[in-house]
Amino acid sequence: MQPPAEHVHWLFATGLLLLGLCLLAEAVVGTEVWRRRAWRAYLWPGLAFALGVFMWPVMTFYTNSTIHMLAHGAWAEVLMLAGAVELALVRGKLHHPAWRLAMASAFLVSGAAFLVHEQNAWLFQRSAFLHHLLGWTLVLAAVFPLVRSVRPRSQTAAAGFALTFVVLAVFLYCDRDVAPVFGHISPLAGPPHR
Amino acid sequence: MRRALLIAAFAALSLPAQAFAHATLERTSPSFEQRLSNSPRTVTLRFDQYIERLPYAIQLYSTHGELRVPRIRAQGRDLIASVPKLRRGAYTIRWHALSGDGHVVSGVFTFGVRAKAPAPTEAFGASGPTRTENVVRWLYFLSLALVVGGLGFRLLVARRRLPDRFFALTGIGVFATLNVGIAAFVLRAEDALQLPFGRLLYGDLSPIAHTRFGAAFTAMTLGFAAVGALVFLAWLTDRDVFLGPAFLIALGFVSGLSLSGHSAADAGASWKSELADWAHLSAACLWIGGLVQLVVVVWPLLPELRRPAMLAFSRLATVCVGVLLLAGVYLAILRLPQVSDLWTTGYGRILLVKVGLVALAFAWGGVHKLRAVPVVARDGTVRRLRASLAGESMVGMIVLLVAAFLVNAKPPT
Repeated sequence: MQPPAEHVHWLFATGLLLLGLCLLAEAVVGTEVWRRRAWRAYLWPGLAFALGVFMWPVMTFYTNSTIHMLAHGAWAEVLMLAGAVELALVRGKLHHPAWRLAMASAFLVSGAAFLVHEQNAWLFQRSAFLHHLLGWTLVLAAVFPLVRSVRPRSQTAAAGFALTFVVLAVFLYCDRDVAPVFGHISPLAGPPHR
Repeated sequence: MRRALLIAAFAALSLPAQAFAHATLERTSPSFEQRLSNSPRTVTLRFDQYIERLPYAIQLYSTHGELRVPRIRAQGRDLIASVPKLRRGAYTIRWHALSGDGHVVSGVFTFGVRAKAPAPTEAFGASGPTRTENVVRWLYFLSLALVVGGLGFRLLVARRRLPDRFFALTGIGVFATLNVGIAAFVLRAEDALQLPFGRLLYGDLSPIAHTRFGAAFTAMTLGFAAVGALVFLAWLTDRDVFLGPAFLIALGFVSGLSLSGHSAADAGASWKSELADWAHLSAACLWIGGLVQLVVVVWPLLPELRRPAMLAFSRLATVCVGVLLLAGVYLAILRLPQVSDLWTTGYGRILLVKVGLVALAFAWGGVHKLRAVPVVARDGTVRRLRASLAGESMVGMIVLLVAAFLVNAKPPT
C-alpha cells in the first residue's frame, strides 16, 4: 500500500520548506547570532542529509518507470552527499575550499535530473510545467551556493540560497501531474477522474 | 492586475488533480504471476489515467511463441484484449500504451493457466543474464566486500579508531553498492522488458520489483543507505558506536542476494541452502574486504598496528576460510548431484575454475599464515608482505569475478 505520489511530494516539500526557513533565519539574523547555539549550525545540513536518506524509499517503492526511479535515486544521492559535505564543513572535518562547491554541484545535478526526466514541453500539463520550472530554478539558483562558496559573508547569496529552497518547496506543494497549467489541459490526458 | 495574475497563477497551481507524469498501471487481470484454473477470456490492464491504444498494444506469448490476439480496445483507463482459449502452460503479456502525457509506457507480466507462472525476469523473450550483468554482479560483490569486510576489519581485527582512509574506503563501498545495485536492477528489467533504452526509460518496472530479485533490491538499497548514513555519522562525530549497527545491518542485508538467488529459488532450495549461501558470501566479503583494509589502511598508515592486525586478521581469515569451505562444499553437492556434472555442465565447469582459483588463494593465505605470521609475531615485519597481501586480495577479487558468472549461470538441478 503506497501513499499517493502527491503526498510524498508534500512531505519533501515540507522538509525543503523547513530547510529554507532555517537558512532564511540565518540570513536575517546573521551567522554569528544563528550559531550562538552550536546545534543550529547542523540544522539545515542535517535536514538535507535526512531528506536524502528518506528519498531512497521513494526510489525503491515507486518503480512505475525507469526514468522516475533513476531521477529519484540521483536526488537521494545528491541530497545525502551535499548534506554530508556541509555537515563535515561545519564540524571542521573538511577544510579544502573546493568542498564548498558541493552544494552548487548538487543544485546543477538535481536541476539536470528534473530537466532530463521531463520530456514534454513546458505547457503540456502542470507536471511538465513544474518540472521545467524546478529544473531551471535549480540550475539558475546554483549561482547562490557558488557565490556563497567564494564570498561566505554575502547577504544576497545567503538570502537567495535560502529563498531557493522556499520556492522549491512551493513548487513541490503544487506538483500534480496531468492537471491543467493555467487552464490548459492536454487532450491526451482525458477528463480528470478524481 | 499583476498581483491578481500572480494570485490566479498560484491558485491554479495549487488545485489538486492527480499524480505521476505518465500513465501508471494500477492493476491487471490476470494479475502478476497469477495461476488461473481456466483460460481467461480477456486480458485487462487498468491505468491511473486515460490512455490511447497503440498497434500491438498487448502481445501474448506462450512458451512456444507469440499467439494472435484477435481484438484489442482502449476503454477509458482500461486496455482490453480478447484472447483465444489458452491451453495449460505459462504465458507472457507484453504491453505498450500511449500515456496521457504523450509517453509510450511499456511493461511485461506473466500468468499461468493450470500451471505456475514464471517470474517476469524469465518471461518469454528474456534471454537471461548477459555478460554486462556478470560484470555488474562482480562489481556488486567487490563493493559489498569493501563495506562488510571493512566494517568487520575495524570491529573484529583492529578494534581501535582507524584513519579517515578507512571511512573513505567503506564510504566508496556503500556508494558503489547502491549504484551498482540500481544498475543490476535496470539491466535485469531491460532483459525482461525486451525494450530499447529509449523505451526502457518509460518501462514499468513494478512487476520486476515484485519478484524475489526486486524485493532483495529494495531491501538492500534501503539497508545500505542506512549503513551509509551510520558510517558517515561515525566519521563525523568521531563515535565508532555507529559502526556496530552499520556492520550488523550490512551483514544482514547481504543476505538479500542469498534470498533471491539459486539457493532460494531453485529446486532443492531450503533455509539451509539460503543460510549456507549467506555464510559463504559473508565469509568471502570479510576475508577480501579485510585484506584490502590491511593493505590500503594499516600497512601504509599505521605501522604500530601491523603486527597485532596481522595476527588478529590471520585468526579471522582462518575462520572465514573454514566457513567458505564448508558452505561451498554443501552448496556444490546440492547443485551438482552427480560428480560428472563438474565437467559435463557449463555450471560445473565454471565451478571448477572457481575451485582452482580458490585453491590458489587458500595456498597464498596458507603461506602467509604458516610462514609470514610467525615472523611478524617475532620480528614485527616481513619484507614485501604488503605486496604479497595485495596479491592475495587480487586473487580473491578474481574469485569473485568467477563467482559472479557462477551466480548468473543455471545449475543443472
